[in-house]
Amino acid sequence: MRRMMLAVVIVCLLLSAAAAAQEPKQGGVFRYALTTNPRGMFNPILNTETYDSYIISMVYDGLIYIDEQLQPQPKVAKYWEISDDGLSITFYLHEGVKFHDGVELTAHDVEYTYKTILHPEYTGVRYGNFKLLVGAEDYHNGLSNTVPGIEVIDDYTIKFTTTEPYAPFVTQFTYGILPSHLLEDIPVGELERADFNRHPIGSGPFKFVEFLTDQHVILEANDDYFFGRPNIDTLVFQRVALDALPIYIRQQRVDYAEISPDNYAEVSGIPGVDLYVYEALSYNYICFNMRQPRFADPVVRQAITYGFDRETYVEVLREGFGIVANAPIPMASWAFTDEGINEYPYNPELAAQMLAEAGWKPGPDGVLEKDDMRLEFEFLVPEGSRVTEQMALLFQQNMEDIGIKVNLVFMEFSAAVDRVDAREFDTFTMAWSLSVDPDPHGIWHSTSPWNDPGFFNERSDELIEMGRRETDLEKRKEIYAEWQRLINYELPTMFLSYGVTIAAVNERVQGIDTEPGPLGPLASLERLSTIWLAD
Amino acid sequence: MWRYIIRRIVVQGIPVLLGFTFLLYLVITIAPGSPVTHLRGVPNIDEETIARREAQLGLNDSFPVQYLKWLGRVLRGDLGLSFDSSRRPVAELIMERMPATILLSLSSIILAWLIGIPVGILSARYQYSVLDYTVTFLAFVGISIPSFFFGLLLLYVFALRLNLLPAGGFFMAGEARTLLGYVKYLLLPGITLGLSDIAGIARYMRSSLLEVKGQDFLRTARAKGLTENVVVYKHALRNALLPILTLMGFTIPFIFSGAVIVENIFAWPGLGSLAIQAVNERNYPVIMGINLMFAVLIFLGNLVADISYAIADPRIRYE
Repeated sequence: MRRMMLAVVIVCLLLSAAAAAQEPKQGGVFRYALTTNPRGMFNPILNTETYDSYIISMVYDGLIYIDEQLQPQPKVAKYWEISDDGLSITFYLHEGVKFHDGVELTAHDVEYTYKTILHPEYTGVRYGNFKLLVGAEDYHNGLSNTVPGIEVIDDYTIKFTTTEPYAPFVTQFTYGILPSHLLEDIPVGELERADFNRHPIGSGPFKFVEFLTDQHVILEANDDYFFGRPNIDTLVFQRVALDALPIYIRQQRVDYAEISPDNYAEVSGIPGVDLYVYEALSYNYICFNMRQPRFADPVVRQAITYGFDRETYVEVLREGFGIVANAPIPMASWAFTDEGINEYPYNPELAAQMLAEAGWKPGPDGVLEKDDMRLEFEFLVPEGSRVTEQMALLFQQNMEDIGIKVNLVFMEFSAAVDRVDAREFDTFTMAWSLSVDPDPHGIWHSTSPWNDPGFFNERSDELIEMGRRETDLEKRKEIYAEWQRLINYELPTMFLSYGVTIAAVNERVQGIDTEPGPLGPLASLERLSTIWLAD
Repeated sequence: MWRYIIRRIVVQGIPVLLGFTFLLYLVITIAPGSPVTHLRGVPNIDEETIARREAQLGLNDSFPVQYLKWLGRVLRGDLGLSFDSSRRPVAELIMERMPATILLSLSSIILAWLIGIPVGILSARYQYSVLDYTVTFLAFVGISIPSFFFGLLLLYVFALRLNLLPAGGFFMAGEARTLLGYVKYLLLPGITLGLSDIAGIARYMRSSLLEVKGQDFLRTARAKGLTENVVVYKHALRNALLPILTLMGFTIPFIFSGAVIVENIFAWPGLGSLAIQAVNERNYPVIMGINLMFAVLIFLGNLVADISYAIADPRIRYE
């Protein structure tokens, strides 16, 4: 895996060295392949689907954006200040930023955008991100008409205040700023049905032109873009059938596509197309139900982890597209550490020995037993992925070798989620895709609804809370390093692998990040406003 | 005749559709999984937001209440709002995609009949000839081959290897909409969708014609010295076509539902991807809307078949 990535990077470096001599050129159509159709909800505070967010990020600008190092950078806000007590952020806006209809963007538009999220009749899903704002809860519950936590100081200055210090807060301000002059007369409860959502107007690098259901979305360069007109004239998000994607790439009918590992070999042979493999902000895992006494002892969870050949899973079943994981913060994140992290290399003898020392003895049928507990359990596997199904078989086989009986239960994804939510499972496998800030509160805090393993650990909660309060990046890193070591020892879930993403890019595309981090060669889509197309 | 049609609709159609929608709504709501499951993936989402969403979507009502509310809206001509983030009217989602699905389905039906009937006739006319055996063999291949596999095969050969036809989709952005363009984009999905029907129709046509050929009135026709061609094409054919008309009524809905799979392979902008997405996401109003439409189609298909039967066969009269 690593070796292959290196080779790809070298090829790309050679190519880009040749291209670097060229001057950026204006013009052309850039086609981005989408294998799933956007829904046509091009409103940054109401959309839930990823593909809609692609269009949104090109039509609107946020106060900030997230750069390749996953750090917040100024956008519509030229800079921001965080108060000494860590409670408030003041954004200072550029003057002269204009919406596509020519109206200037001011702090009132920012206020409208974020206050709408807190409104009692708001129908979207972003409230959780901003409920820490002073007065947000009262406003949200209809008990007051104002939000003291959002304060417009003048047309170009706006201040957000939270009830407690919250380090990741600034990274939440990436949402596109809505034009209040077009929307404020629409009742918030009816906003989700406004025609505006299908004909969006923002201040971003591209203007919305056309959305044809299940076919394409066309955007055109915004000539008056505050940060400089994009080099490409037209940006097309082209719907392509998943099965036909390699053909589209080969025929150069799309310039950029994310492909699955299954297509890697096929696409890598295509002349004129470069492949980039980069680490994603995601991992998959096998979760133990720690509410059951047999999984309560960390030794059992560790032994099972030692007993599962995760190297074979990643290298053979996933064909190297992935990295064995041992803690819940992906390698691609700035908070990742491998210091003091146990790698749990495959060692069935050690696993068997650990279980024996913990008092587990083979029962009459060879399955390990202790008191009235028995290491025979169900393993819930969502259907649909060949690799995941093979992984489940490997797990079953490996466990049998150390005296554990695994009964596989394959289930359609939604149905599996039902079982997990009802806590009616012994073990299951799924994956998490994470936001750019490493704050683990949402998944791992004992009060979180998504704490599926039922992991309750005082020190862990303490560290998670400390990490949220700490605004100094280095200190936050240390807190998360200690937290990762704790999770790595406790293993409420067995971590399988960090994910990778593969992007296929036509080599005529210039100005991309040729050594991509987790955001990929286009740095999310940020670089679409500066790339250009060679002849 | 009109009385018959009205009676069919009132006495048979409406109770059947009511029963069907009731059962379907029951099945999709008791099936595991929830329309808000996918919201779990939204970062920082809290339980309260999900609970609010459930309330907004009316998921807190019991099954009978949900169904009656849905039915009440449908009777007023409103199929409800989609559960996905866009909250668009279901009727609009369906209407937007209907033309593409109808275009594809009609093309493949016409293709199937244009090819299937003549092939079936020839196959019966020259029974036990090399032609007949070849047709029979190919028909079995056509019926047996799964459409997703056949579709991929066509993509591989005509789009990738020969580069003659587009690999699915329906007009690239900015491409001119010419007649040739339509043919180009329709050809592969049309053949894929029509294949099993071509084969099926050819087989039905063959056996239907063979059955008629053995009957007494044809022996009379031959006895009075008519050539075999006149016997088959003039006298046998019209009688043999009768059961095929019924078949047409049955195949129309199957073509539409077959389109669901084929459309997904070819990224055809019709109802197919909407239907599959809706099932995966438990988007109840969309599932109900699409299925109600299919149910009405099946009912009308049967009705049309029965009526055309009466038109083609003077012996059949409905009172």
